[in-house]
Amino acid sequence: MFGILFDVTRCKGCDRCVDACVEASGSDPVAAARDRAITQDGLSANRLLSVVPVNDDRFTRMSCMHCVEPSCVSACLVGAIQKTPEGPVVYDPDKCIGCRYCMLACPFHVPRYDWQDTMPFVKKCSMCLDRLREGGKPACVEACPNEALGFGQRADLLTEAWDRIRHSPGLYLPRVWGEEEWGGTSVLLISDVDLSPAGWPDPATAPIPSLTEPLIRKTPWIGATVAGCTWALSAIIQRRQRLMGIEADRDGDV
Amino acid sequence: MNEEHRWIKDLLWFFAFVGLLAIVFRLWFGLGATTNLSDAAPWGLWKILNMVAGVALATGGFTVGFLVYGLRLERFRPLVRPAILIAFLGYGSSVFALTLDIGLPHRIWHPLVMWNEHSFLFEVAWCVLLYFTVTIIELSPTFLERMRLDRLTGFLHRIAFAVVVTGIALSSLHHSSLGSLFLVTPQRLHPLWYTSMLPVHFILSAIGAGIMVVVLVRLLVARWFEHRPIVAGDQKFSMLQSLASIGAAILAGYLVIRIGDLIFTGTWRYLVAGTWESWLYAIELSASAVVPVVLVAMPATRRSPPAIAFAAALAAFGLVLNRLDVGIFGYLRDAKTAYIPSLNEWALSLGILSAAGLVFFYVVENYPIFDDDWKRRRKARQEFMPTFDKASRVWQRALGGELNRAGLVAVFALPVAWALLYPAASPSDRLDPSPATPPIALDAERAILRIDGNRGGMATVFPHREHQDRLGRKESCVRCHHLSLPGDHSTPCSRCHQDMERVTVLFRHEAHFSAVAASKNLVGWIRSNHSCTECHEPTETRGPDAAKPCLDCHRKDMTPAREIVDPLGMARAAGYREAMHGTCRVCHQKERDRVERPELAECATCHRTPRSLTAEASELGFVGPWTESSLVGTL
Repeated sequence: MFGILFDVTRCKGCDRCVDACVEASGSDPVAAARDRAITQDGLSANRLLSVVPVNDDRFTRMSCMHCVEPSCVSACLVGAIQKTPEGPVVYDPDKCIGCRYCMLACPFHVPRYDWQDTMPFVKKCSMCLDRLREGGKPACVEACPNEALGFGQRADLLTEAWDRIRHSPGLYLPRVWGEEEWGGTSVLLISDVDLSPAGWPDPATAPIPSLTEPLIRKTPWIGATVAGCTWALSAIIQRRQRLMGIEADRDGDV
Repeated sequence: MNEEHRWIKDLLWFFAFVGLLAIVFRLWFGLGATTNLSDAAPWGLWKILNMVAGVALATGGFTVGFLVYGLRLERFRPLVRPAILIAFLGYGSSVFALTLDIGLPHRIWHPLVMWNEHSFLFEVAWCVLLYFTVTIIELSPTFLERMRLDRLTGFLHRIAFAVVVTGIALSSLHHSSLGSLFLVTPQRLHPLWYTSMLPVHFILSAIGAGIMVVVLVRLLVARWFEHRPIVAGDQKFSMLQSLASIGAAILAGYLVIRIGDLIFTGTWRYLVAGTWESWLYAIELSASAVVPVVLVAMPATRRSPPAIAFAAALAAFGLVLNRLDVGIFGYLRDAKTAYIPSLNEWALSLGILSAAGLVFFYVVENYPIFDDDWKRRRKARQEFMPTFDKASRVWQRALGGELNRAGLVAVFALPVAWALLYPAASPSDRLDPSPATPPIALDAERAILRIDGNRGGMATVFPHREHQDRLGRKESCVRCHHLSLPGDHSTPCSRCHQDMERVTVLFRHEAHFSAVAASKNLVGWIRSNHSCTECHEPTETRGPDAAKPCLDCHRKDMTPAREIVDPLGMARAAGYREAMHGTCRVCHQKERDRVERPELAECATCHRTPRSLTAEASELGFVGPWTESSLVGTL
């Protein structure tokens, strides 16, 4: 399973990765520049990656985190979003009906909608799956001039992240963001500042599908139980009414 | 319907026509142009009010079915058909609104063949569709009786019990699942409303309020259609009283569970926090449960039909408010933006509900839904019908007929709706290509002009005389007014004032607008519009020379960066930024004075984008007779 390792301490916020992303995703660069100015977080249907400040001189990356147990995949009612075996979480525009439940379900607020279009689709980062299948790297990783972005197998990146933290004592906070949050993400971050202002929760947060999927597995049984109980109840009451010689309940006070 | 209540239908026709136009605009211009939905608030009025709340208000169909078919309480049988009609209309309008809400309405059938059984929305979609089918089957005998299809009607009566039980099972599933939809947003939904008990809250409130809606509709129909209204002590009213008691008992249970949940999870702290959410929560819970339960329980109000009707209406309102809280208001704090539905959204929402109301009236007037004589209702309606008086050759009561009246309403409604709902150009659209309009002089000498080129309401004051003076008096006219070119009246400001978009400079205006507005806590509708004066003196001419130096704000960026420590913590080196600034900048500053090129020491001399200058210029939408070399020259 592929992943991306992002080192906050190395990012200078130059937006080179965003420009590469805009080019690779075939978005309109003018629209992307405009959306950077008019949106809160720089993320839009034309701008699938955004570099946002955490504090005065540290930046972090906003884009699809490619969760290990993605909420959007579990939420999409037609299965238009899938977790591929390679790692990326990808969107299939041929299935989508435009209900926007994935936008509500994503804990990172990542999927964006092409509101300007009369036949709109959801837009999200696909970790450049086409490039990966040809043996390449994601466009943002290739574009970074400062090696703030690393690419490889998620397990290797995790080892690398912990190695960097161990080898530079005091430089990093002892935490790899994305290792456990929401069940783990394929995009991992290491940093010297706390990333919770950028929307990261406690490491112990459970994956969102674990909140709903045990419940939905029970629904057929609940439905069958309700139907059975109603039928049984009705049969019992009807029999009693017949035995007592009552054809129908009399009207009267409560 | 009596003559005195006909305004209700007129109002419904009005909203239905306005809604019709809203539907046309939504389909023609798309979601973005007609709604105020955004990436921060992806779910809005249509989904929450029409779908989530609309379906919940229509639970009467299965609860009354359960009372009559499950518990064999025959006294409620007269309410079965009204309740099923309500369910049919509630579900029908919800499905219709949902089809328009999704981005690609022509793909509404996708969930039927593309399955994701892990999704609660998938379950809701299937259950709603199946239950809608169930209501159609349950309602069809009413219509088939008129067509004398006795064998089909007989078959439907035989399977009625099985159909009702299926409907009960389906309803119990999807009404709780509508609450489970919001379980996926633990970090977004306000903790007052987010709880793992959401499915239980949703189904209990839906059942309670759904029963209350049946009571309310029965009382209103009696008031509108029946000669003898329902009064206290009436047998009909005693039946409604007991139904309202059942509803109130369920609402009381709902209230206990919600308060217990507040205490158990410790979220009561948010209720006493005094934020607007806590007030909303208190109002919602009072309206949906506390007041209706008290009104039904107190002997004085219990005996009064108006009080029961008020309690029922309040319960229905409280339920709608609860769904809006969970689906819209509870997300606003996390979204950091206010979502106020656009006029178009309101029009479409209310239009669909009004249309459902009109269908209700039509069915009630023409079919045996309510127990007593529907034929009299139809006759009463026909009394208003227009008649042609042969002697005088004049139509009597020309507007008495239903459709004539509706036509008159349409004549008023459609132009108003067109004027109000026609989508405004989005602010992010490209510039208006319509021809520029001439400026207006503010004084006799044309010293100052007011320019609103595309009549967009955003005018600027243009110091005309000052420009003449600076550019060389009379000879200067042709610089801007190309009288030699036919149809070319004047030059756009940007032809001369190019500095703002100077593409070779790293400085990004569009990024600074919002960043400066945020850091300086500017206020206003479009905060970034006020950010110009943060860097440019208001009185000075705009341009890079009159702007504040970059370093005034970016001082921090120039302080020594973090030192780099090797794994052993031994060797140290300066950070990249400090090293570059330390070695390059000093020399640049020195050379600047020697070769007299002040731009050498500007930040933008080094910090510039490496791409082709002309490509960037055209990407920025820049028109001008420029070449690569001339752009470099301007730097």
